[in-house]
Amino acid sequence: MTRAGTALRLVAPKVLQFAFVVWATYTVTFLLVRVLPGDPVLAALAVQSGDATTVDPEQLAALREQAGLDGSLLEQYLSQLGALLTGDLGTSLATGRTVVDMIAGVVPGSLAVAGLALVIGVLTSVVLAFLASIAPWRWLRDLLVQLPPLGVAVPAFVTGLILISVFSFSLGLLPASGSRSGDSVILPAITLAFPVGAIFFQVFITAIREAEASGYVFTAEAKGLGRAAVFGRHVLRNALLPSVTSIGLLIGYLAGGTAVVETVFSREGIGRLVVSAVLARDVSVIQGVIIVVAVVYALAALLVDLSYPLIDPRLRPGKAAPKPAAASTFSIVPEADALTSATTDPKNGAAK
Amino acid sequence: MTKLLRPTTLVSILVVLLCVVMAFAPQLIAPGDPLAGTPRDRLLPPSAEHLFGTDSLGRDVFTRVVHGAWLSLAAATLAVGIGGLVGGAIGLLCGAARGRVGTAIDFVVMRFVDVLIAVPGILLALIVVATLGFGPWSIALGVGLGAAGSFARIMRAQVLRVRGEEYVEAAAVLGVRPLGVLSRHILPNAARPVLAMAALELGTAVLSVSAISFLGFGVAPPAPEWGSLVSAGRDYIATSWWLTVLPGAVIVGVVLAVTRLARVIGESR
Repeated sequence: MTRAGTALRLVAPKVLQFAFVVWATYTVTFLLVRVLPGDPVLAALAVQSGDATTVDPEQLAALREQAGLDGSLLEQYLSQLGALLTGDLGTSLATGRTVVDMIAGVVPGSLAVAGLALVIGVLTSVVLAFLASIAPWRWLRDLLVQLPPLGVAVPAFVTGLILISVFSFSLGLLPASGSRSGDSVILPAITLAFPVGAIFFQVFITAIREAEASGYVFTAEAKGLGRAAVFGRHVLRNALLPSVTSIGLLIGYLAGGTAVVETVFSREGIGRLVVSAVLARDVSVIQGVIIVVAVVYALAALLVDLSYPLIDPRLRPGKAAPKPAAASTFSIVPEADALTSATTDPKNGAAK
Repeated sequence: MTKLLRPTTLVSILVVLLCVVMAFAPQLIAPGDPLAGTPRDRLLPPSAEHLFGTDSLGRDVFTRVVHGAWLSLAAATLAVGIGGLVGGAIGLLCGAARGRVGTAIDFVVMRFVDVLIAVPGILLALIVVATLGFGPWSIALGVGLGAAGSFARIMRAQVLRVRGEEYVEAAAVLGVRPLGVLSRHILPNAARPVLAMAALELGTAVLSVSAISFLGFGVAPPAPEWGSLVSAGRDYIATSWWLTVLPGAVIVGVVLAVTRLARVIGESR
């Protein structure tokens, strides 16, 4: 077996998985829109004209054709799928622009917010997890571990409005809305960082507990290393690896969260695009956004999957060492949904 | 029993009971009319008379929050019901079919379930709302379909786990028909984690429903609903904090209580 052959054998299934996720997402959204009662073209027209009863049949047919919604269900499905393969996500029913154009125009704004939120969320949870592991007082450690449910439970629209009220209106430090100035990205990012950080924290702290129970930590402690040194040198690095796989879950939260956050802060972005598309009953735009999110998600999964052996030497092919069970590679969705891991741990069930 | 007596658990149970009362008999807690306002009393801060203050039309916010519980909680509960039924059925069938006739079916269906879990629930809900039209019930359907994936996965895992237990094998050997085994032995034993999942999803559903209502796709005004209450307070955030913070705090309290109970249900005995 040549080197290239081995690499291909490793990469091919993952690329196939990527293609599958995109195809399945398209199929699920297509079915949702078609199986549910309601004609998207009629609905969009009704919103535009304010009255659905006076639709010109010719105009309707033209619009259907333009949106790729003419012909039988199977024809629509196949023609849209064909278009998808060439990177065409269809045409907006409300604006007549192509969906790809509309999305491409607003992506940078959302990326800035989501990226900053991811950085803030992950950094904060690493710091909090560090404190929760080495704090000398038990009550503080318990308190810190209790924080994440709160981060998930507070709705983003409430966090955002409170942040606006405090930092924009009371203190006058940061802009309350818009996307023109650079610092307008800070408050939306902090708002999104709460749930994202909370989820990451839960995955991370579970990984830390697992690492703490391992033999190498026991050895390090037996050698007489201090708590901070054990954490920094042994626990942190080993716990970060499995946590990387939760990035898919986080991307989902970020993408969903932008809808609310961009509305609260009146920013241009993907979420705002979706909200105005719902208002205009513009189904093809929402479908396009969902597919783009799925592509980003699947791409992240692919990258994590492929980079995992680079990060973790134990997973490199050709090494004689057996693969550790804990460092499982990226499945389509992180298996242990952070919130449910306590309730669905298969080990708990089996050990009972 | 002892874990039911822990203070946080007791408070959570109390909150959930309070929610039930708010949803079914709001008059018991807030006897006033949620739609009637006194324009003279507009934008009053919280006081003994108006616990949560009043809004821009002089309506009592506390009364509106209590009366809004029905729509918010009913839509969230319906969403979990839909998700549980659809997802549970899928998971049950896949789990039961695996290893017999349908290993391939199981594989394909579960990959679709993975995708359903991966796509952000709120986007799925929004595409349903855009197709069906606005209102709390289409939100419930959308949020429910978004939750179906998680239910399918956990149900399947449980069915597969229970199927390997001795008592199920014993029942099959004793000649109990497959459907009988399924309903009498597998389902009851798989129910607990599914129930914990349902409680957890209820919290998520309350958040999603109120978020979509906040965006303006829920019930038409003036009917009260938690998300739209927060949204209505948005214009007064600089001067009247209670319009957004207090209904928001109620949402947080309910979600925390439900999540806490999900943990308690899910803890192994």
